[in-house]
Amino acid sequence: MRALSAICGREYASMFRIPLGWVVVSLFVCLSSMYFMMRVMVPGGPATMREVFGVWWALLLFLCPSVSMRLFSEELRSGTIETSLTAPVADGVLVVGKYLASAMFLLTMLLPTLAFVGVLAWLSRPDYGPVLSGYAGLVLLGMLYLAVGALASACTSSQTLAFLGTLFGLLMLDVIPARVAPQLPEQIAKIVFMLSPSVRANDFYRGLIDTSHVAFFLGATVWFLVLATLVLQSRRWR
Amino acid sequence: MIQVQRVSKWFGGSGRGGVRAVDDISFTIPAGQCVGVLGPNGAGKTTTIRMITGYLPPSAGTIRVNDLDTINDSIGARRLMGYLPEATPLYPEMRVQDYLAYRAKLYGLGRAARRAGIGAALERCWLKDVARRRIGQLSKGYKQRVGLAGALVHSPPVLILDEPTNGLDPSQIRETRSLIKGLAEDRTVLVSSHILPEIEQTCDRVIIIARGRVRADGAPAALVRQVQQAFPHTVEVGVTPGGRERVHRALATIEGVASVQLSSEGTEENWARFIVTPKGGQGDLREPIARAIGVLGVVCRELRRAQPTLEQVFMRVIESDDRTALKEQKAQEAA
Repeated sequence: MRALSAICGREYASMFRIPLGWVVVSLFVCLSSMYFMMRVMVPGGPATMREVFGVWWALLLFLCPSVSMRLFSEELRSGTIETSLTAPVADGVLVVGKYLASAMFLLTMLLPTLAFVGVLAWLSRPDYGPVLSGYAGLVLLGMLYLAVGALASACTSSQTLAFLGTLFGLLMLDVIPARVAPQLPEQIAKIVFMLSPSVRANDFYRGLIDTSHVAFFLGATVWFLVLATLVLQSRRWR
Repeated sequence: MIQVQRVSKWFGGSGRGGVRAVDDISFTIPAGQCVGVLGPNGAGKTTTIRMITGYLPPSAGTIRVNDLDTINDSIGARRLMGYLPEATPLYPEMRVQDYLAYRAKLYGLGRAARRAGIGAALERCWLKDVARRRIGQLSKGYKQRVGLAGALVHSPPVLILDEPTNGLDPSQIRETRSLIKGLAEDRTVLVSSHILPEIEQTCDRVIIIARGRVRADGAPAALVRQVQQAFPHTVEVGVTPGGRERVHRALATIEGVASVQLSSEGTEENWARFIVTPKGGQGDLREPIARAIGVLGVVCRELRRAQPTLEQVFMRVIESDDRTALKEQKAQEAA
């Protein structure tokens, strides 16, 4: 437990010791604020965050890979992976510790956006249910994207490759199938929609928390983290 | 104690396309001994060290650290070791004391033990004055010390250092060497290097590895004694004009002398320097030379026998290994 918190704490702190962390948070907050001001703060518009969540999904598609690309690639490049993997810590603990740091970063990134909810509450009476479930859906989606990123990062010592690999993975796993599905036969389209994280996340934005969706997100996240651990372990056996 | 038993390592499988980095090596390092692993680049030193630390598993054989198997009891074995990898990888964005605290937590140290460990490591590695500095801002010498402090912070009974003086300047090398010497007083230390004086001056025992095999193993002095080579003697005597030939003849007639040469290097007027080479197997000829000069009645101001060094031991091992490799290659070609 001590090792897990040490790994997580060091990784989280290091994200803010380099400019990248601040750039990602600033970019997210700036773009979100602009969108919120232009599309939500319109006279007579509904006091809802649903549209904002849809845009944040698109931002996460790029920002999650830029957070996760460092997780292992940087250690593989600098050689610190050798001291990490020879410390008395299981490989899985290293993966989970680093991943939790990136998930904490995601929460930190979303924290300033609570101000938008505050503005809505100040100007009108929003329905807090869909707001809360929307945040939950977004966090679950972001955590899955970060787990895909952790796997890509464990595969290469190049951060650029890890970023592009994650982006490619997310496009292939989520974005493209969801866009292509309507053209497919109904049975196949149903399966594709079922496997698309962003389609499942839409229900959360509407205020619907489906336990099967929660299980899907958590299961897929664990699956990618297990794969990342196996990739890291496979380096020992090559 | 480190026990390496019949350990081999292949990269890319043991078949035709695979590379054999370490080939059936065995050695035991008792507790408290400081051992240097020597070898040319690519000899298998780093692979051996990586297998001992648990970073790489052996393809065959077993490694035990204080009776814990590095594969079956990996976490327990790793807890006993402090490891400084080659090139000293560190987190440049961290402060020195934060880095040491991180390493201490990784090794499961509680708050009090952590504080004590960090304090001791900072003191031992002379890092107190830079404890709050970022690692990325430090010089290479300081970074090396931070790496060492990181390996020491949990007070491991076994310390493993891979090329700890690589890339350092001479004064930094001297500092690191004296640091390692101090550390070796109360723990088992395994140091790999290709810088011979470093090993000769620091270690109780030397293991020479070449082409993945142990080629020599023993105390530096014992290894040096094994060198059955004729080491030349230098004799400098005062001579009158025409007296050179008389001295030359007298030296040449000493039993066991193979050749006598007059050296022109650094000689002054009325002094002559001779290089006396003994026959193979004849070690020390200083006594008969001194007697012969005494009989001649000339003044002698220097009589010195070249001392065999670890470097010569190393070179002989490497050269004989190269010859073996060449023979093997020829035999393969012939087949």
